[in-house]
Amino acid sequence: MKKIFFFTLIFLFVYNTIAEAHKVSAYAYREGDKVIGECYFVDGSPCKNSVVEVYDSKGKKILQTTTDEKGKFNFKTQETGELKIVIPAGEGHRAEYTLESAKSEKKEVKKQEPIKEVEKKQTPSVNSEEIKQIIDEAMDAKLQGIRNEIMDLRKKMDKINIRDIIGGIGYIFGVWGLIMLIKRRKNAS
Amino acid sequence: MHISEGVLSAPVLLAGAVLSLVGLTLGLKKIKNEDIPKVAVLSSAFFVASLIHIPIGPTSAHLVLNGLVGMLLGWSAFPSIFVSLVLQAILFQFGGLTTLGVNTFSMAMPGVLFYYIFRKMIHKGKNAAFIGGFLGGALAILLGTIFISVSLIETEKSFTGVAATLLTMHLPIAFIEGIITGFVVIYLKKVKPEALG
Repeated sequence: MKKIFFFTLIFLFVYNTIAEAHKVSAYAYREGDKVIGECYFVDGSPCKNSVVEVYDSKGKKILQTTTDEKGKFNFKTQETGELKIVIPAGEGHRAEYTLESAKSEKKEVKKQEPIKEVEKKQTPSVNSEEIKQIIDEAMDAKLQGIRNEIMDLRKKMDKINIRDIIGGIGYIFGVWGLIMLIKRRKNAS
Repeated sequence: MHISEGVLSAPVLLAGAVLSLVGLTLGLKKIKNEDIPKVAVLSSAFFVASLIHIPIGPTSAHLVLNGLVGMLLGWSAFPSIFVSLVLQAILFQFGGLTTLGVNTFSMAMPGVLFYYIFRKMIHKGKNAAFIGGFLGGALAILLGTIFISVSLIETEKSFTGVAATLLTMHLPIAFIEGIITGFVVIYLKKVKPEALG
């Protein structure tokens, strides 16, 4: 009886709530010398007005900013190495995200140089800096959709699914079964 | 009420780990073989409880059920809660593996404490048992928030600030869990009195 009672209790809980908790996650990406990121709770709700600390690869704090109403933040940095973004959300919660170092993208430019020279003669008014800027802008516009999609996927991945819950309960019973077995063996011997 | 990885300093983590270890050995020694199914069921109840959020104002807090676990298990609440916290840390990234000690102690210890304070009331009449269960369930949460605030003293600087926020956030939770614990106690008293140790 007692077990049935508890199981109905557990299942009521599971079905009543799309499970959530106070875990905080963060995600960020680079756009030139700008870093754009977002901080959110496990249920997808934004982490508002929270402090964002940025550390370089040596663990030195290089700057500090805050998230806006939508949990988003951005900052400019010349640092191309690995960046660690830490968001202390208060009451013992904290999110951490490591941004990979930005590798130089200059190799491709060299390969194209012979063709470019021909082009340059024809249209001398456009220099390589401007071309780079135009490409960057076009790419950003195209990538925005994909970035949003990645963000959504990340949020979904961080959500707790029922499989994990059921699996966890299974593990708990497994662990206690093992303890029971060990105890019984000890008593017998 | 899970402290995340990287918030606390090493001495605090170590203190929590040592205290929890004491509780764990005591709890494991006290468990009788026939009690283990009960411990396992309460472990999973605690495991799932943290997923239930109750919105309070701008923020929300989740159920904890440490009072219920404590009232029904006594010292065995330590291993019971420890197992759930390990799985919560691994599967949901609630809390963290390094903060297991601190989290286990601040959840389990209040339950154990109120188990000894209200144990006699539970074995009296129906009304007294409900009140005993209610107080045990509710106070265990509130004491838990105090323990959490104490362990955060170093990081958050103003102890009263954190304690006040956590306490107000958990007042409704304490009320709900008090009622749950009270009902579970009188229910068990009626159908399976030997389950109330």
